[in-house]
Amino acid sequence: MYPFGNLPDNLIAFCEILRRDHGFRIGVGELQDAARALEVVKLSDELAVRHALRSILSRTRDEAAVFDRAFMEFFFPGPPGEQQAGMPSTRRELEPEAAGREEHREPGRARPGEAEEAEEDAERPEAAGEALVPLATEPEAEAPALLARARYSPQAEAAGAAPELTRAEPAWRDAARALVRRLHLGLSRRWRPAARGRRFDLRRTLRASLQTGGEALEARWLRRSRRAPRFVLLVDGSRSMSTYAETALKVAVAIASVTMRVEVFTFSTSLRRVTDDVRRAAAGETRRLEYLQYAWGGGTSIGACLREFLQRFGGRSLSRDTIVIVASDGLDVGDPGLLREAMRELHGRSAGLVWLNPLLETPGYEPTAAGMSVARPYVTTFASINDQAGLVRFSRLVRLRT
Amino acid sequence: MTDATAIRARFRERGFIVDEAFATALQIMLALEKPLLIEGPAGVGKTESAKVLAEVLETRIIRLQCYEGLDAMAALYEWNYPRQMLHARLSETEGLSLEDREAHMFSEPFLLKRPLLEAITQDRSPVLLIDEVDRADEAFEAFLLELLAEWQVTIPELGTIRARHKPRVIVTSNRTRELSDALRRRCLFLWLPYPSLEQEIDILRARVPGLSDRLAQQIAQLMQVLRGLSLQKAPGVAESLDWAMALMSLHRDHLDAQTLEQTLGCVLKVHEDRGVLDTHRAAVEPILEGASTALESGGYSLETDFGIGSVSRPRR
Repeated sequence: MYPFGNLPDNLIAFCEILRRDHGFRIGVGELQDAARALEVVKLSDELAVRHALRSILSRTRDEAAVFDRAFMEFFFPGPPGEQQAGMPSTRRELEPEAAGREEHREPGRARPGEAEEAEEDAERPEAAGEALVPLATEPEAEAPALLARARYSPQAEAAGAAPELTRAEPAWRDAARALVRRLHLGLSRRWRPAARGRRFDLRRTLRASLQTGGEALEARWLRRSRRAPRFVLLVDGSRSMSTYAETALKVAVAIASVTMRVEVFTFSTSLRRVTDDVRRAAAGETRRLEYLQYAWGGGTSIGACLREFLQRFGGRSLSRDTIVIVASDGLDVGDPGLLREAMRELHGRSAGLVWLNPLLETPGYEPTAAGMSVARPYVTTFASINDQAGLVRFSRLVRLRT
Repeated sequence: MTDATAIRARFRERGFIVDEAFATALQIMLALEKPLLIEGPAGVGKTESAKVLAEVLETRIIRLQCYEGLDAMAALYEWNYPRQMLHARLSETEGLSLEDREAHMFSEPFLLKRPLLEAITQDRSPVLLIDEVDRADEAFEAFLLELLAEWQVTIPELGTIRARHKPRVIVTSNRTRELSDALRRRCLFLWLPYPSLEQEIDILRARVPGLSDRLAQQIAQLMQVLRGLSLQKAPGVAESLDWAMALMSLHRDHLDAQTLEQTLGCVLKVHEDRGVLDTHRAAVEPILEGASTALESGGYSLETDFGIGSVSRPRR
């Protein structure tokens, strides 16, 4: 069936590397598609094979970017120009190379007899794929945290400092629910059936009339539902914020447990998306943000981080339904001009820009720090949240841009 | 049409330049009969590629433009209520049984097919373009999943309609929102970046006949610079084509500082971006030359569709 006897085996090994080292999500279906695709393209054309596999195995732009390097590393190891002239057209060249490399990479990995097995399975890629499935289902989000732990083992005693995310308590959830309800963004474009509404629903009226012999006795209506707010939380993870960041993340978990429309990021010297951790915490898992600890120390460049957020995630997570919540003390060591520009854009592209500042609780505090004073004109609501009552208070306070 | 090279050639005949990655993705999509999800910045020809694909395959293109609030009624089917009502009144005296009348009223003549149903009831595989799927809400995406996986639609009154010929599906997204993993899993994925300098010159030549080499070169170079700046709205290929058309109609055969100033509106669509360009003037200067030369103008006619910001190819 396959002109190149052992190609499926190589393909499976390659997919496994993508899964393990690069976090790709490849299941049996993708493997089958990839095998079928290799029947379609010219195998002698390395570019065609690469393009074909990329379109099948990668799902996002980031994955597509990683793919090419992984492909070259796997199929053409060694420095360029050396023994590479052989495209995968001749299996003699490709196979031992790739297979040898596999073993070389992971000498201790337990793959008992898989080489022989795969040999037998070469004609049945799906069967060989099944053996790999458990790998795919292991929680890949855990990998970065594990990696971070491994990297910082010398400082293991300091691990207690990393903030822990736990399920939101009922009081917090209620407070978050109240917040979501109180935010009025106007009406959605979508018409929904309702007991009373502004538009007559001919379809449902007629449908209901079938029960009364074709006479429409009861009118059905449509109305526009309310636009549901989206949230973006940007939490300052610098050392000066260490205790408050945890409260801010609690707010994030509380909001995530009542709505899916939330994105959470932490920043200090660089920006990091922690939405997945927050969502898992909201679902009841306890998660420790190891990498946040890493990010501590050094000054906070708020402007640069917000700019990075706007560039990398702005298009996807900002809309006129989005409430942006920045939790920071505003002690900025970066360029104030950068912060001003970023705040202006955040303000312009969202429904409301909220700044949570723990220092606001301090008696006699005036937001006069350089960072605060340039950010201030663009902030629609200034607040500080320390407990669930604070979140409830905040939901009454929050102002939207109109 | 099974070979990537053949696909490239056929697309080129129609004035649409695709690179090898794109052609291979199309080849795989046709061979595996899976939807192709194309993501990329605005104005790189995602929508246009579906239209050209339909032309190349000599089949119909059925387009579903997604928007906020798009629901199943607008995408799938709707009963023609006024007609049903009229029919009910007119057939009152015919003495048919209730069941017969009902069966007749809920039959195909009373069904208004919307794009998705239309696409699976064709006699020949059409190209189904689901445009800007990120604009529709998550609920609609979930609804699409069933269709993309099973190729069937269930209408309670009629039963299940199964696709006779699977449509070739192209899904586009501008990344204004993250798409769900489930949708991604059902599609092949292609990231369509901005074209390289050479590709863009190629595209300009293919789409704007009569464009001088120098101007094509200048436009493409300037576009590379502009896309490198952190603009709010980076110009796409559609913008360079518009710009080339505009410069042609102004009878310019090269770009200088003054012409750039006059026609910048074709390229930069946000006021703040002008400021960004001004601060990076130094990067632009080498591309613009002051020397103006007379031009030989051809009797060129504009065929610009300003409504969607793209340029249709001249008819032969």
